[in-house]
Amino acid sequence: MNFFLKKLLIVIPTLYISWTVVFITLNIIPGDPVNLMLGGRPASDEVRENVRHNLGLDKPVVERYFSFLINATKGDLGKSYLTRQPVTTMIKENMMPTIQLSIGGLIFGVFFGVLLGITAGAKPNSWGDTFAMIVALCGISLPSFWIGMLLIFIFGTTLGWVPIVGDGFTALILPSVTVGLFFAGGMARLTRSSLIDVLNQDYIRTARSKGTSKFKIIFKHAFRNAMIPPVTLLGIQFGLLITGAVITEEVFARPGLGQLLLQAILSKDIPLVQALIVYMTAVYIFLNLVVDFTYGLIDPRIRLERKAT
Amino acid sequence: MVKNNRLIRLILGVATLFVSLTFLNNASAVDVVFAEDRPDLRTLDPRITQSRHEEMLIVNMFDQLIAADSNGNMYPGLATSWDVSSDGLHYTFELRDDVTFHDGTKFNAAAVKITFDSIVDPETGSQGAIDILGPYASSEVISEYKVRVNFSRRYGSALTAFTETELSIISPKALNDLGNEGFGMAPVGTGPFMFKSWEANKKVEMVNNPDYNWAPEYMDGSGPSKVENLTYRLIKDTSTRVAALESGEVDIAELVPPLDMRRFDSSGELNTIAGIVSGLPYSAFLNTSVGHFQDIKVRQAFFYSLNRVKMTSDLFFGYAEAAFGPISSATPSYWKGNEGYYQYDAAKAEALLEEAGWKMGSNGVREKNGETLSIFFPCLLEPDTCVAIQAYANKVGFDVNVEVVMKARQDELIFANGYDMMVIRWVSLDPGVLIIPFHSRNIPAPGKFKFNWSRYSTPELDQLLEDAESAETQETKDDLYMQIQKIIMDQAIFLAIHDQVQTIAYNPNLEGIKFANGNWQLRMYDVREK
Repeated sequence: MNFFLKKLLIVIPTLYISWTVVFITLNIIPGDPVNLMLGGRPASDEVRENVRHNLGLDKPVVERYFSFLINATKGDLGKSYLTRQPVTTMIKENMMPTIQLSIGGLIFGVFFGVLLGITAGAKPNSWGDTFAMIVALCGISLPSFWIGMLLIFIFGTTLGWVPIVGDGFTALILPSVTVGLFFAGGMARLTRSSLIDVLNQDYIRTARSKGTSKFKIIFKHAFRNAMIPPVTLLGIQFGLLITGAVITEEVFARPGLGQLLLQAILSKDIPLVQALIVYMTAVYIFLNLVVDFTYGLIDPRIRLERKAT
Repeated sequence: MVKNNRLIRLILGVATLFVSLTFLNNASAVDVVFAEDRPDLRTLDPRITQSRHEEMLIVNMFDQLIAADSNGNMYPGLATSWDVSSDGLHYTFELRDDVTFHDGTKFNAAAVKITFDSIVDPETGSQGAIDILGPYASSEVISEYKVRVNFSRRYGSALTAFTETELSIISPKALNDLGNEGFGMAPVGTGPFMFKSWEANKKVEMVNNPDYNWAPEYMDGSGPSKVENLTYRLIKDTSTRVAALESGEVDIAELVPPLDMRRFDSSGELNTIAGIVSGLPYSAFLNTSVGHFQDIKVRQAFFYSLNRVKMTSDLFFGYAEAAFGPISSATPSYWKGNEGYYQYDAAKAEALLEEAGWKMGSNGVREKNGETLSIFFPCLLEPDTCVAIQAYANKVGFDVNVEVVMKARQDELIFANGYDMMVIRWVSLDPGVLIIPFHSRNIPAPGKFKFNWSRYSTPELDQLLEDAESAETQETKDDLYMQIQKIIMDQAIFLAIHDQVQTIAYNPNLEGIKFANGNWQLRMYDVREK
């Protein structure tokens, strides 16, 4: 209880500091939101003044900062400069596609990554190891716009097996594989090294000397213990995904939080950036909690230690 | 191409717009899907928008008082006839009495008045329509189907203005129910398609308006459109857009890269059309207030150094033409004389630079009094073209420094007057647009964002621009704009480079795709299966 409460209490100063930093940064960087909103199109002074007034930008900076803080504590994060919609509505609209893509990527990434990791770790320096590590390296280092385009070309245009931009479940396959490959690369490498480490432990040697089959050693004795480092990585990577995979979203023409944030920053849409920061902070804190909790599930010793303190 | 009989997709991609058409069992019912490239599709309210991409959708849901085809020829629209008072201040419209809005309410004179009055209301926050409406004073409802629009001074571009998408007539009931912001998210007009749904950053769906029976006479069809459903999808990435088009997922795509256009043309896999956009071509302002371009000889030399015809054909493979005047050849009052100026002549460019005292230095860059002939060129649009310009100018001894900038950086440089040249392009139906980039009152200053980026100012040009705005006859108007274009060319302050082009590729089973006036947006009303 204490443990969770402490984590939650950190949220308040974290949010306050990040909001203030965002507010100051976006006010310092060049560019007038009114110009950015008009997108370079010639417009009369009258138009510019109307827009400025409607956005509340004719008020002094200090006043805007404090009115933002006061409204935010009441749960009102304001309206987007760009669309005049409440920012919370915009985030909600873009959250679902992002969650779908993240879960799709997670499932593919974990499955494929662990598979590669075990293949490699079970027999280090074998052909299987080399092959799995090359695939993992590709997953980590090839840019997602390239992988995305390649997948579109092969499975969308040439073979026509899956839709490129459509709706529904099938349209989720290619983008999930694209983000999942990156995920899988990291998972595979970490699973491999962790597994090799565990397999050198005394208790494994004991099991082997007692004649336990290789399969049983890996899946019954070694696997669980080897999963702690990959689960930590999983938390971090999932956090990255759930806050938006900009490039994959763009290549597959998907809406999502990554696109939303990029657009908000480029157009100096301060209320939207601030709201997205709230969301991302919350997601990271929540995921950290989940990861901590998962350690306990994987390794009962951690659970018992926590109870003891 | 056709994946099944029930579903034919049509992609309209100008920047990334596509339309997918679904044909039902009888070929008279069609579904269309469109795609749009702007991530920040913000409003579908014609009164508020300033975006050519938002208008891509708006143009299919609304009608205007006067209809215009892609060449700008005018036809009766929601008004059956119109009359202009001799002083040019009052425009009286006889309106159709058989038109209903998508919400079932009747179109009438009051709707016209409410639309125009709300455009000039500062609370609406109009970004385009308010400028197009010019010196609007008021509207009077004379009878149920007769309205008079009054201007505070003669407004030569008024008739063109009434054809513009921004001055579409909206449903007063919907505006009242939804408010300004709500209306932009669920617009209600009188057009051939009705708004259905909007999935943010993904797609907008429209459905056929079954009551539509007031198509302008330049359309092929009459009654409701053959297109049952129209979906606009957002596909920003060019390669994905083209892939979705080729796989048949969408039927029409806009802003197709010229290289792909050429491929489709030679293979016959997809049909293509390209439109030369009216308004300002893709052009560069040369800054006359600071730096080396203060000297007219240096400006002229820069113009002569560019082989615009070759450059444009290298970059666009024949889908765009080189431009020579301050307005594109598709714009009314375009002056043919522009084409006699500054044809590529490197020798002449070098001679002009010699005359101006710039001698060739050892490293291929000209020098004068210890200074090098350096030009700072922040480039926001089309980096490829900026670099091509750099290469040509370099051959005669300019040292052009191209910096690819974002909008915010460009604004900063404009405020600070910290550039030698800057590019622009703009869609407009009327030469009246010239007042914004060339009148001296539109020279930018710190905190005042304006568009006269060459910062050229003479009372003579100002006067001509003002007179042209309220010209009484077409001949006077053409003559005044001719003089204006001549001054801009003589002074070498604005370097037109190539026409803006809208490149469309589409499913060859479809026909009837038409450009709206201005040659950017597509009217989907006439689209049908062959």
